[in-house]
Amino acid sequence: MLRPIGNFFSKNRNYIPVLATAFLALAAYGIGAYFFVGMRNPQVFFNLFRNSSFLLISGIGMTLVILTGGIDLSVSGVVALTTVTSAVLLREGWNPWGVILLVLAMGMTLGTIMGSFIVYLKVQPFIATLAGMWFARGMCFFISDNVVAIDDRIFQILGKTKILIPGLTELAIKQGNPAPYISIPVVVAFALLIIVIYVAHYTRLGRTIYAIGGNEGRNEQSARLMGLPVERTKMFVYTFNGFCSALAGLSFSLFVASGHGLYASGFELDVIASVVMGGTMLTGGAGYVFGTFFGVLVLAVTQALIQFIGTLSSWWTKIVIGVLTLVFIGVQTILANRKEGRQVTHALSPVRYRQRIIAFGMAALALIGIVFFSRFGSASQTETTANASCEIKPFREAEVARLITEGAAIVYNRTAGPQCVDELFAIYPDGRVTGNDGVNSVEQKVDPVEVEQALVQISDEYQWFTDAIYGRYLTPCRQCFAHYVSISYQGQEKTVSQVDGTASMPAGYTLTLAVIRSLLPEINPAP
Amino acid sequence: MRKSTQRSFTWRSITQSRLFFPLVALSLILLFDFIFIPGFFSIENRGGNLHGSLIDIFRNGSTVMLLAIGMTLVIATGGVDLSVGATMAIAASVAGILMNPSALRNEVFFVTDPTYTFQPLWVVIVSALLISILCGAWNGVLVAYMRIQPMVATLILMISGRGIAQLITNGLRVQITYKPYAFIGQGWIILPFSLYIVAFLFILTWFLTRKTAIGMFIESVGINFRSSYFSGIDEKKIKLLVYTFCGFCAGIAGLVASSNVRTSDASNIGLTTELDAILAVVIGGTAMSGGRFSLLASMIGALVMQAITQSMYAIGVPAFALQAIKAVVVIFVILLFSEQVRNFVQRISTRKKEV
Repeated sequence: MLRPIGNFFSKNRNYIPVLATAFLALAAYGIGAYFFVGMRNPQVFFNLFRNSSFLLISGIGMTLVILTGGIDLSVSGVVALTTVTSAVLLREGWNPWGVILLVLAMGMTLGTIMGSFIVYLKVQPFIATLAGMWFARGMCFFISDNVVAIDDRIFQILGKTKILIPGLTELAIKQGNPAPYISIPVVVAFALLIIVIYVAHYTRLGRTIYAIGGNEGRNEQSARLMGLPVERTKMFVYTFNGFCSALAGLSFSLFVASGHGLYASGFELDVIASVVMGGTMLTGGAGYVFGTFFGVLVLAVTQALIQFIGTLSSWWTKIVIGVLTLVFIGVQTILANRKEGRQVTHALSPVRYRQRIIAFGMAALALIGIVFFSRFGSASQTETTANASCEIKPFREAEVARLITEGAAIVYNRTAGPQCVDELFAIYPDGRVTGNDGVNSVEQKVDPVEVEQALVQISDEYQWFTDAIYGRYLTPCRQCFAHYVSISYQGQEKTVSQVDGTASMPAGYTLTLAVIRSLLPEINPAP
Repeated sequence: MRKSTQRSFTWRSITQSRLFFPLVALSLILLFDFIFIPGFFSIENRGGNLHGSLIDIFRNGSTVMLLAIGMTLVIATGGVDLSVGATMAIAASVAGILMNPSALRNEVFFVTDPTYTFQPLWVVIVSALLISILCGAWNGVLVAYMRIQPMVATLILMISGRGIAQLITNGLRVQITYKPYAFIGQGWIILPFSLYIVAFLFILTWFLTRKTAIGMFIESVGINFRSSYFSGIDEKKIKLLVYTFCGFCAGIAGLVASSNVRTSDASNIGLTTELDAILAVVIGGTAMSGGRFSLLASMIGALVMQAITQSMYAIGVPAFALQAIKAVVVIFVILLFSEQVRNFVQRISTRKKEV
């Protein structure tokens, strides 16, 4: 009975990594939906795409680069540069469509420059794109040091338009849920995916890309001898990836509605990991563009699961992604060795190879199981609180007012953010600082002089008590924090609430937060 | 023998020396500093210890120099280790948590007593180094025995290593107040103490690679691992050795870096230093494809990187914007090394002869 299955797998060996990834993504989502009621909401599923549209866009470009046997580390830098450039140009009052075209052209130019270094000057892709990343990130800070908010109308329309899913709307409303929707960047990402799948698998250009990267990237010479335009194709691939990075940057800036040079740090690793998980060989020449789609999905599901479990801290994402990357690379290596083994040595019989693959897969599954279920014991008990923990908590306005009347100079309430924190700090003129997040509390003593200095700075320099500081509450985006700050100084009292990014935050407010935060102790995350 | 070395000490032999180019780069940067930054070369004597911008280049560069020692050997075998930054963070986290384990108990607990430590210093250092050796060995096993591409194999630890480090410290920045530990990165015995560590490790490595056969084995593996295998060199063991050693160097660098800032910050220690270390080696003239290497040239490469940073700070370029300038310098340096440019220069010189 096993024989036909084995035959099927050995015939379609190339699809195994892709299938495994797709299976893993769906299985992980299924397990999550089984344990957490919240995950059964279709909107959570569509949010996976909304939250990772930029990852998918960038992954598509990266897949082509990796297929030619190269690598592009510059994506995160170009993404950050795109967010900063577009935010600053919009602040200067440029036409938003002009800005979009300009940043896309900028991304392509950067890609072309790096490509020409790699192709014509034979600089290693790794080094050339690394320098590209540094350059792009450095340029961000030449343009602007601070976070620049985007409040352009067109950008807000592009970022906030809800595209309903046909067929699901009535179903969801019948069940009492709001209609599930996706955003414009998701549609753009899918359109790009379809175009690139067509180009990679059904055009001459796509065949050339595979030919250059074949045989572990050593095929360039034979591709050239076959008369294929190696240089031109590689230039195209890097330029196209620059375009994808800029597009991902635009999608990212729509998502966070602001631009800053430190955004998306480490993003290139996520992109590479999802390409690898999608079954593309890092040595080049083998893999599928739609595999990257599933790789991105695995990453998104992992993040969603960790958010839903709630007791796992954010760094588990990194560890799980690392383990998954290892597993997929392991599978690839075994498959590659198997190919080689058949041709050259016959050292191990195919049966033993199959046994090996099965053993490896079992070990990998066991490892993932241990990682997840070692924590599930505690997770299932606190499931209700875990689900509630990622609802944004309202500001504790009454408590803040009480603390102010009790003599606190500054009361700072911070909620939302990726982990839905709910922290409340009170700073007293005598240097006492108290804080709690509803569960743990903390107390610290600072120099009263520092508190006095901070108050003077906030009221004089940042003009807290004037109209320059205004409040406007919007629902925080997934990564933004909401702040509620009440300050009482020399008989004046004022409370202002703001949300990172979504509203155009007055500069003085940001600086005030920075001054306040330097006085605060850290509350440990809940266990 | 002696005669021949004397005879070869000509202008041509100097320009062809591996040290020539990095030294020229370093002296160009120092010349720039000499002209544009007054007081850059002044060294003051504070209580018998030497302080000054030049000393700072050495002191702040010591982390990259430590990493470059290990990285040179790895690159000489034709590999690369991207995980050194993450390994630094892991070593620093282990050290931090062993001295101040309050983070594990999930309570904020600021130690202010400079003599307080949970474990004695030698336990702290030895266990941090053992963990980092383990990280290096893990990379070595993946590269040598699992036959995974070095860049990919070390990428795994680069991604997950920082997560592991945050797991160790429970995601907190562990403050280090223990005085003897702070001496590693902040102490001075006439010169900064970290420099002595660099010197010791450098001499040790130089001795091991140049006075025993290991250095030659490494080069031969880097040039052609298959033929080295057939000539009786166990290339797997050599690879395992260099990656393990690179992990060890990264561990020391992690200790120095964490003691320098007196905190063990899992998410920031060693961030992007792997790139600095790789570029230091590349500036030092060791080819990324492996083969011949020069430890001293890599050291000078590390100093070049640090000197750029230091002089940009001195003329007031903000820290983040510095990356753009670094990128331009790096591309410039790499281009000078590239075959195209060399061929171009050769063509010009031959043309001159014809004329």
